[in-house]
Amino acid sequence: MIEESSRLDPKLVEEFLKFGKNMAEAPKLVPALDEINLEVTEHEVAYTEDKVRLLHYKPRTSTQIKTPLIIAYALINRYHILDIHPQKSWVRNLLDQGIDVYMVDWGTPTNMDKYLDLDDYVNGYLDNCVDFVRDESEVDNVSLQGYCTGGTIGTVYTSLHPEKIKNFVATAPVIDGWRDTTVVSNLAKHIDVDKMVDSIGNMPPEFMYYCFSILKPFEQGIEKYTNFFRNIENESFVDNFLRVEKWLGDTPPIPGELFKQWIRDIYQDNLLIQDKMYVGGKHISLKNITMPIFTQVAIGDHLVSPECSMPLHYAVGSEDKTLRVYPTGHVGMIASSLSQKKVLPELGQWLKEHSELR
Amino acid sequence: MKNNLQKDPAEFYKHLSLFWTDLIYLMSSKPQALTSVGPMRNFSTNAKKIATELLDASEDLAEFNKRLTEYYQQLADTWANAQKKVNTKIPKIPNDQEQFDSYKRIWIDMFDNDFTELFDSHKFGENYGKLVASELELSKHWEQMVNVMLQSANLPNKKEIDEVYKELHALRKRVSKLESQTKESKIRSKEK
Repeated sequence: MIEESSRLDPKLVEEFLKFGKNMAEAPKLVPALDEINLEVTEHEVAYTEDKVRLLHYKPRTSTQIKTPLIIAYALINRYHILDIHPQKSWVRNLLDQGIDVYMVDWGTPTNMDKYLDLDDYVNGYLDNCVDFVRDESEVDNVSLQGYCTGGTIGTVYTSLHPEKIKNFVATAPVIDGWRDTTVVSNLAKHIDVDKMVDSIGNMPPEFMYYCFSILKPFEQGIEKYTNFFRNIENESFVDNFLRVEKWLGDTPPIPGELFKQWIRDIYQDNLLIQDKMYVGGKHISLKNITMPIFTQVAIGDHLVSPECSMPLHYAVGSEDKTLRVYPTGHVGMIASSLSQKKVLPELGQWLKEHSELR
Repeated sequence: MKNNLQKDPAEFYKHLSLFWTDLIYLMSSKPQALTSVGPMRNFSTNAKKIATELLDASEDLAEFNKRLTEYYQQLADTWANAQKKVNTKIPKIPNDQEQFDSYKRIWIDMFDNDFTELFDSHKFGENYGKLVASELELSKHWEQMVNVMLQSANLPNKKEIDEVYKELHALRKRVSKLESQTKESKIRSKEK
């Protein structure tokens, strides 16, 4: 006779069996990652240089504001997260608000690119993209948005070339490395980055995946996939899940010299916020950033903590500056229903108020 | 010399290996020199380097093992502590859906909190940094050994390829600078 307390609830058994059935049927119901196309919004390649591409998105409104927006995506993963799903696309939302959007795709560096440094990215690739857009749009200056490490690149660029930037949007930028409280910064502070780059050249994606794997490992490694199998029949959930998974699992290597400078100057020596950083022999002063600036920070960001991003708002020379803190995470800020309902309408409004109209 | 070798077995074996590698090379080099200028000649000339690298790598392997053991020890200790906390909070095995869901939620939260605390700690960061450094030392030895093989086949080694990449990078910069100078001078002449 089995005791009452040790008997399993039949509903729990049923739930286990259903879960097993969902796992078995999953391959019949969902596509493989390779079969998913992450290109959502129509665009053309407007400019290329080495492996870098500048994408220009097709307008979705009859009129657009004159000042174009260039988005400098991060160095980790790829730009697709900003256009991941028609209902959650950062780019599409801005296009629908009448903004002319360009995106920098940094491409996939190979061993040949191991000597590319911050100077090449800032004063080379990004500067050439900005010049191209200024010529094509017939404007003196453009709006620039930088996301994550793209925010750091954007900040350095804006400090060195303020005359070419009308508005600067910093979305979760990596600025004050010593204040960063994430586990990623703890690793960054302890690695011998010189030895690493000298031995292996470009930073391999595997190292990035390790860094991701220690961010909430049980929530991300167990609960997330349990939810996936539970919701295997929910088409919209599955589509969104697989798109984000595909994006997460596709990070290009980072050029060795660039990685070295980023880790050493930002996380280990924290030079940018202290006004001691040099790129291509030129001093980076945040006080040079005098144009209107809009800083976006997520309170639950476990990749770039708010304490790391927010100092930018206080350090720049701009008088017209706005800081917005959102109740979400690093990815939630750019690709979620909150970003569609709250983050993007505020950004679009701000850009329109600060841009040249036709 | 003799005393030092007796004290340190690693040094003794290193010396022994190098002694015989040198001697065999000296004894065999003359007949080889008559017949060979190809890969085997190159390889035998450089075989000593492989022996040296292997011996040096064994020292770094010891450091790597020490750091790897510490790494897994930290993970195992954190796991055990987190599980203890979960057991204290929920002593009974869940037997219905509601209990199971709350058990899972508490388990995940506690494990995530404890592991995040570990990954945030100085001791983890320090050991991880040294673990990666020792792994890189091992990869450097491997690279040196492969270089010997590449050299024997008259193929460029990593250092030589790096020189090409560096030169290419410098050339790209120079071309880009020249292009922008040409562009500027064209604009200036148009303005005139």
